[in-house]
Amino acid sequence: MASLKDIRDRIKSVKSIQKVTSAMKMVAAAKVRKAQQKMEQARPYTLALEEVIHHILPDINRDDLDLLNIRDIKRKAYVIVSADRGLAGAFNSNITKVAEKEINEFGRENVDLFCIGKKARDHFKRREYNIIESHTDFWNDLNYDNAMMIGRSIIDHFTSGKVDEVHVIYNYFVNMAQQEIKSEVLLPLVYEDEEFEAKDRLYEPSKEALVGSLVPRHLNIQVWKYLLESYASEQAARMLAMENATTNAGDMIKSLTLEFNKARQAAITTEMLEIVSGAEALNE
Amino acid sequence: MGVFSVEIVTPIKVFNEDTVKYLRCPGIDGSFGVMKKHRNGIIALDIGELKIETKNGIEWYATSGGFVEITDDKVELLLESIEKSNEIDVKRASEALERAKQRRADNKEDIDSVRLEASLSRAINRLNVSNK
Repeated sequence: MASLKDIRDRIKSVKSIQKVTSAMKMVAAAKVRKAQQKMEQARPYTLALEEVIHHILPDINRDDLDLLNIRDIKRKAYVIVSADRGLAGAFNSNITKVAEKEINEFGRENVDLFCIGKKARDHFKRREYNIIESHTDFWNDLNYDNAMMIGRSIIDHFTSGKVDEVHVIYNYFVNMAQQEIKSEVLLPLVYEDEEFEAKDRLYEPSKEALVGSLVPRHLNIQVWKYLLESYASEQAARMLAMENATTNAGDMIKSLTLEFNKARQAAITTEMLEIVSGAEALNE
Repeated sequence: MGVFSVEIVTPIKVFNEDTVKYLRCPGIDGSFGVMKKHRNGIIALDIGELKIETKNGIEWYATSGGFVEITDDKVELLLESIEKSNEIDVKRASEALERAKQRRADNKEDIDSVRLEASLSRAINRLNVSNK
């Protein structure tokens, strides 16, 4: 049986771990809220942009625009959105697992990777996948410029003909307790054909040029959405993981305390036995 | 002079100006003005300055481009970024300008000239507007 001092030390260390995990839980909770708020704020812009695109698209010949081109798929690019930090349950390992499986199904030598977040980068770098770009260390200070930068490089990679399709794998934020890994095709853009009546209005410079600059903006906002979804999911996953860790630490403290009390009681009993038997010996 | 409402929508915020008398936008093919009863249309905007004249005076903004959609009942500006003249971080803008100039001076081969020119003009624009 462990000595009293050992048990006391362990209780102390578990208690301090519990403090850390519960603090991390609080921080994660605050960050989820912030991410959700940003998602709310981005919604009007997304909707308005989509509406404008839908208004113009019926009058556009899709073959004219690189980003709407549908080519034979020889090479693909994957954008993998992970986190910079661990301690978020299986958040990072799940996404890299799904991504790796999809990539290998297509053939890893024909896949270019855009890694977002340190965890994905490290994972695929170690296994020597073909990483084109990685973006890390911006989550704490997440702003729209990050999305624009990532969006631009993805568009360049696609329009220069290096890949014929771009996929995104990210965590979709369902609710606080649930995140879902989604794999979506980002490029070439596919829109459902909806009928809109053509209105009499002014298009400047021209409809084609308008769509040409609308679509990249639309992609940027998509990337922004992926970043926010993933960030919210990461923090929610961390919150849950830390909540569990805190409860587990509590259980551990309870059982250690019990053990401590037992050991203490045993020590007292032994001591009393010694005194009694000592006294007995004197009486004889 | 009639007034109309302008809605400014960006990925991070949305706000309204309800009593706009005159709006000047940096179109791709040059600046243009919008007043009440402008013809409906969608016009692409470049990096530049936005001038909004409301009942309460004139306000200047720097934008990095986007679109304006003009309909009968309102004017909607879809912009990737917008900064009011007095909210521009002059220090950051001048730093960005210096960086871009430096990169142009280095003149490396792999440089992305389109992106460089864009960041140059964004920085210059922000500095210009901050002086309004």
